[in-house]
Formats: sequence, C-alpha cells, structure tokens
Amino acid sequence: MPPTVATGLRPGQMPPQPNREDIDATWDYLQLGITKIMTNLQDGMDLTAYMGIYTAVHNFCTSQKATTMSNATGVGQAHRGAHLLGEDLYRKLKEYLNQHLAGLYQESKAHTDEALLAFYIREWDRHWVKREMDEGKKNTYDVYTLHLCQWRTELFTLVHEKVMDAVLKLVEKQRNGETIEHGQIKQVVDSFVSLGLDEQDASKSTLDIYRSHFEDPFLAATKAFYQAESKAFVSENSVVEYMKKAETRLDEEEERVRLYLHNDIASALRKTCNEALIAEHSALLRDEFQVLLDNDREEDMARMYKLLSRIPDGLDPLRQKFEAHVRNAGLAAVAKVASDAEKLEPKVYVEALLETHTQYQTLVKRAFTEEPEFTRSLDNACREFVNRNEICKAGSSRSPELLAKYTDVLLRKSGTGVEEAELDGTLTQIMTVFKYIEDKDVFQKFYSRMLARRLVHSNSSSDDSETSMISKLKEACGFEYTNKLQRMFQDMQISKDLNTGFREHTKLLHSDKQLLDSSYSILGTSFWPLTAPHTTFNPPAEIQTDLDRFSLYYKNKHEGRKLTWLWQLCKGEVKAGYFRNSKTPYTLQVSVYQMAILLLFNDKDVQTYEDILSATQLTSEVHDAAMGILLKAKILLMKPDGDKPGPGKSFHLNYDFKSKKIRVNLNISTKTESKQEEVDTNKTIEEDRQLVLQSAIVRIMKARKKMKHTVLVSECISQIRTRFVPKIGDIKKNIEILLDKEYLERLDDDELGYLA
Amino acid sequence: MSTDNGPIMISLQSNDNNIMQVEKAVVERSLLIKNMLDDLGEGALGQTVPIPNVTEPVLRKVIEWCEHHRNDPPSTNDDETDNRKKTTDIDEWDQKFMQVDQEMLFEIILASNYLDIKPLLDVGCKTVANMIKGKSPEEIRKTFNITNDFTPEEEEQIRRENEWAEDR
Repeated sequence: MPPTVATGLRPGQMPPQPNREDIDATWDYLQLGITKIMTNLQDGMDLTAYMGIYTAVHNFCTSQKATTMSNATGVGQAHRGAHLLGEDLYRKLKEYLNQHLAGLYQESKAHTDEALLAFYIREWDRHWVKREMDEGKKNTYDVYTLHLCQWRTELFTLVHEKVMDAVLKLVEKQRNGETIEHGQIKQVVDSFVSLGLDEQDASKSTLDIYRSHFEDPFLAATKAFYQAESKAFVSENSVVEYMKKAETRLDEEEERVRLYLHNDIASALRKTCNEALIAEHSALLRDEFQVLLDNDREEDMARMYKLLSRIPDGLDPLRQKFEAHVRNAGLAAVAKVASDAEKLEPKVYVEALLETHTQYQTLVKRAFTEEPEFTRSLDNACREFVNRNEICKAGSSRSPELLAKYTDVLLRKSGTGVEEAELDGTLTQIMTVFKYIEDKDVFQKFYSRMLARRLVHSNSSSDDSETSMISKLKEACGFEYTNKLQRMFQDMQISKDLNTGFREHTKLLHSDKQLLDSSYSILGTSFWPLTAPHTTFNPPAEIQTDLDRFSLYYKNKHEGRKLTWLWQLCKGEVKAGYFRNSKTPYTLQVSVYQMAILLLFNDKDVQTYEDILSATQLTSEVHDAAMGILLKAKILLMKPDGDKPGPGKSFHLNYDFKSKKIRVNLNISTKTESKQEEVDTNKTIEEDRQLVLQSAIVRIMKARKKMKHTVLVSECISQIRTRFVPKIGDIKKNIEILLDKEYLERLDDDELGYLA
Repeated sequence: MSTDNGPIMISLQSNDNNIMQVEKAVVERSLLIKNMLDDLGEGALGQTVPIPNVTEPVLRKVIEWCEHHRNDPPSTNDDETDNRKKTTDIDEWDQKFMQVDQEMLFEIILASNYLDIKPLLDVGCKTVANMIKGKSPEEIRKTFNITNDFTPEEEEQIRRENEWAEDR
C-alpha cells in the first residue's frame, strides 16, 4: 500500500507538502526551500524544513502516478518512470542554478581584487554548504555534481581569470613583505580543486581544472617575480648575500605551499623557483666558489652546495673546482716542507699530507653533507698530491718510504713518547694516507725491513700496537700483503719459547760454571727481509761454546734445518772494570764485532791491526766501521794517531775513559750503513716488481690459455694496481722474458698462448 | 536529550503526531537521519524530527529493528551488494520480525526506503521474494491480491518471451 499523502502537516515555515504527482507544485515547494538555502543559509536550517524538502523529493520520485504519466504499457516501466520524473526535477534545479549564477556573475562584475576574492569565497561557501545538505537526498552525488558543473560553466569560466589576478596580486603583496589574509587563497584553491570533475565518471575528481587555471598562472607569476627580483638583487649585492636571499625565498615558498596551497603544486613550484633563483644564476654562483674556497668560508659553501644541489647537474663544476683546489693545497703544503728534501723528517711530511686531507675532509663533511661524489673528488685530489708532489719528483717511492719511516718512528720504543691511545689514532691517520699511496709494495718493503729491525733489536714500543697496525694493513690490502709481517711476529714468539727451553736444557747440563746469558732468535729465511753478512767472522771463544751448544740443541729439535748466523744483527753487553776514574764498572753495549775486538784485549793491552783482523776474520771494511766507533768513543786509542784505522796501526785500552752514564751504547749504525740499506731496499723493490709482474702474467695466461697482447697488458694492470702502478713498458719487457723462458708462445694475430 | 553520562536521545514525530524518544546511536541506522544530523550539527539535536511519511506503529516496528541491529557494522555500498543480492537467506531474528501481516510488511519496506535503512529494506524485499519463490503466476496473484489485467494474447506473448526461465 502506498503511504497516504501527508496532509495537515505544517512543519515550520514550510507550506504543506505539495501534491506528489504534480511536478509544478512540487517544484514550487522546493524552490522556496532552495532559495532559502542559497541566500539565507546563515539563518540556519531546521529539521522540519530539511525533512520537508526531503519528503517532497522522495514522494515525487516514488509517485505511482508517474508510471501512467510517462508510459502506458510494458514491464519495469515503473522504475524508469521514477527516473524520468526525477530528471524533470533535475532540469528544473539546473535552470534555477543557472539563473542564480548568472545573477551572481552580474554582481561579481562590481567587485575587483580582494573584494572580488571575498565575494567569490562567500558565494562559494554558500554553494558548498548546499552540497552538505543535499547529501541527505537519494541522488546526492548527482545533485552535488550538478551544482559543481553549473558553477563551473556558468560562473567559473567567466570569472576565473579575474579571481586568479586577484590571488596573484595578493601573493605578490605577501612576497613583498605585507601580511595578507591567506585563508582566502586557501579557499580559492580548495574551490578550484573541487571543480575538477572527471567528465566520464562524476564520482572521481581530477586536478585538471586546478592545474590549468590555478597552477599554471601561479607558476608563471612566480617565475616572473623571482626573475625580476633576483636580477635586481644580484646587481646590487654580493653573491654571498644573494645566496642567503635565495635560501630564504626558497624556504618561504615551501612554507607557502604548506600554509595555503595544494600539495600538488609543491614540486612544480620548487622547480620553478629553482629555475628562476638558482639555475639562472648558477654561473655566477660557481665563479664565487673559488673565492669561498680560498677564504675558507665554510658556511657560505654549505649554502652554495645546498642551492646548487637543487638543480640538475648543479654540482659537477663545483666538484671539479674542489678537486683542483685540494690538489693544489696539498701540493703547496708539501712544497712548504720540501725545501730540503734530503733532511725531510718523515713526521713533518706525513703531517703536511694529513693536514690537508683532514681540512678538506671536514669541509666535505660540514659543507657538502659528505656527498659521495664530493668524497670521490677529495680522494682523487689526495691521490694526486700524495703520489705526485715535489718530494716525489725523485721517484714515486718517496711517499711510501717516508710514510713507512714515520710509522717506524711511532712504533719504536721511546720514540716520541706517544700515549697508546693517541698512538692508535695516529696509526689510523697513517692508514688514511696509506689508502692513497699507489706504490703499496714500496711501503710494504720498507715497513717489513723496519719491523724486522724493531723485532730483532726488540725496541718495538708494544706488541699491541704492532698487531693493531698489521691488522689495519691486512684490512686494507688483504692477507697476502701482511702474511710475511705476521710470520715475522710469530717467529719472535717461537724464539722466545725456544730460549726458555734452551735455558732449562743448559741448567740440566751444569757443564759450565760461567754461563753466558744468551738469547737467540730463529728467523725464517723466506719471511724476513734479511741477508747473510757480507763478511767472514770468527766469533770469540767466550760465545762460541754457547753458540755450539745452542746449534746442537736446535738441530736435535728440528732436523735438517740450516742455521745461518746474521752476525751483523748480533749484539751484547760487556762489563769492563779496568777504568781508573770509576769504581763501578761500565757496561758497554756493543755489536758482536765490537765484542770480538774488545775481548781480544783480555789477553793483551795492545793489539795490532793485522792481529785483530786475523783473530776475528772480519773484512777490513766491517772491522774499520766497528773500530771507528770504539775509537770515537775513546774506549780504544790508536797509535800512531790518524783519521782511519788501517794496516800498521796499533790499538790499546784507554784506562782514562770517562762517561756520565754507566751504560755506554756503542752499537750505533753509521749513516753510510743506513743509506746503503735504503738503496738496497729500493733495488729489491725493482727486482720484486719484475717478479710480481711475471707471476701475474703467468697466472692470467694459465687461466685464459690464449690472449691478445693488449688485453693481457690491461688485465695485468688491473690485477696489480692494488700493489703499485705498473709501467706498460715493464709489462711488455716481462712478457718478452717469459717468451724467452718458454712459458708463453706467440700465436697468429698478435695473440699469446700459454705453454704448460 | 543528552545527559552527561547517558546516551543522546533524539525525539521523532510520526505522521500521526506521536512523539517518541530514541537513542541517537539507534536512530542513526537510518542514513537519512544520520546525514541530516551530521549536516545540521549540534544545533539540531534538541529539535523534534518530523517523519511525515511514516505512521506510529510502523515507526515503532522500524525502531525495534534498529535497536536489535544497533551494533551491526555499517553497510558498505560496493562489495557487499553482490552478496546481498545472491541469497534470499534471512537470519532467524529477522524472519520472526517479519512475521507480520502483508500491509505492515509493505509499510516497513516503504519506510526503510524512505529512511534509507538498506539492510532493513533488503530483509523486507527478501521476505517478499521468498513469498514469490516457487509459485505460479496464479498463485502469486492470489497471494498478493492482484487482478490479472492482461489480455490472453498479452499473457501468451509474455510467456513465450520468458519460456527459458520456466521451471521444468
């Protein structure tokens, strides 16, 4: 049963419900309500009116009479009929809106600028709320959409340009520092966004309208504004000032988006601003960069970095300048300390390198946010000035050599009295420089020699620091690089145990009353960078016994091993109680050669040059060097006096010897000796490199069997580069050598083959 | 009316001017009233809501249904429709609820349509559907007291058109 027509109901100020089948009556009833909503909404809307309008629409749409009105026969017509009726109402509503909006447009002509904005927003608000009310109805979205469509076609197309003009004027005012009512703009934005209806599907919205009618003019205005402003500003202010200005402007625009624009504009607006504020002045900014670098203006550089990072490819030129600048700074720092290349202290040199690196690393960190590309530029620059500077002119091995020497100074006992914690920090810094060194093999060579010396003379500052340094190197270059260093360390440990065993062994024998307090180091030939002595030597009888016993003991333990005594590294202490001026005996720390010479004087107070040589079997050069020190210290006196010991001279004990210290160190290596060692080291480096090259070539060829000459060369370089930078000439030379040795053969077409 | 702790009450006025107090949460099963209250805001709470299309007995019946279903999840429009359409199953309580005379049944359906209470509309329509199910046209006419206004020719034509749907 259909509900009976509501009668006798008088809700609020609304007239009674119209006849549900009469469209005109219904419309008249509705129009009353709608007009009230359109123009007087602020007076509020009561439930009765709301329900009244709703009921009228509902009744009209569900009216059964409609069936007969719209169509006579057929199944399912009733349903369609309701819709057709609804459409009548819909059309009426549309007409009504058109009229209303046309009226509004006429009114809008009277307003300009901000007044227009206010007007637009006021009217928009009304229609907005209208939507809210309509949502209650059945066909809510249709009605809502209808309103939007009508608004768009009837009003928006006519006024949007003027509205936009007003908006832009307002924004410009704000950019010029005035305070504005930005809520208005926000509402305009919202209204433009709401008008974006999808033509196909009314329930979806797009931003097209907003984009074309708001964003585009807004961006154009922004661009024009900043182009003009920045041009004027740059001509009157410094670049540094301009950067500050640009930075604030960019921040302001971000804030603007957040405050009252739609998020959709954010990236486009940023791009526009970047273009107008940065890209158009990028050349100017970049020119200023050198000045900032020279004056160390960290903050300004950070600002420039931030600005230029906002535009594509903005930073590349900066990086190039930065790299060149760091390289020059490094070279200058080296040049400053390089005035006397021969006497250059390793410490001074390494610190000069480090200082430059640290300075610019800090800059990269603080100003350039540690951006990877900048870090790479820094690395490139450092590699340049570490390997190719004034000191390295003589040869690129100078850098690793000096670095290794500085490490030695640090790790040697008593060297500089550096605290352990501090020491580790310094070692880490050493590794920083090490990272840039190209000839890592040179460093390895020098380092292992100096480590050997520290271990043999047991004057390493601490085992912990040594291990820590070795593990740092291992981390940087791999197991192979530090293998020998580690083995050297192990040998020392094994020797310690060996000595303990030997001491117990001798105790058991009880054979000698006068036990020699001895200690031996057994060093594996292949791990230690040491060579057998250049001289023959006949050790004094006093130590020979102990020596023989140890040899026997060792050979029993390890059959088939051959011991070679490295006399040049042996040392000992002798006590001498013959001095007239001192009651306490002096202890003389001497090399084993010096010991042999001195012990001869136990038998006779005077010895001739010839006697000494024949007793000790030393070559004259080695003897002269050892004797030279004894003479210089005035332990022995020479007759007749002369510059150098030699045939025909004789030596006697100096009973009047005086010294402030009880222990006198006579085991000093002479300058010429250490010089010689350096030359030797450098020579072995060259030899080793040839071997490294050859083994690399053979390794590659063994894997590949056949290879083009040029490919082999480049493969070789890439394999060896971690150790040193090979010269192409050297590679070719070594390929020739391997061809001669028949490891390789020539094939057709410039190819090489591997011969097993 | 709202007190500090108690539920907010809404007064409804039926077609025959009876006023009844209903909890807001219950009455909001009607999307019409819910939307209206949302639209008009706080200010509307004190007013009486006129329901000009529904008489008191029907309104009470509808409210009864709303009370029982007050905690149902709000119906979503899209995915659920499918399921609703597929089956004519009605839960037990609703079946009992719908055991009313035909006039009341149609009043409930109309009221639920008017008040925009979809689930109730569904229950009502399903009940009607179950009454139709498995019946011949003659039986259906008898059930709903419908006079046959087709001419024999018209009826013959419709039968032919719908032959495929005949249950044989």
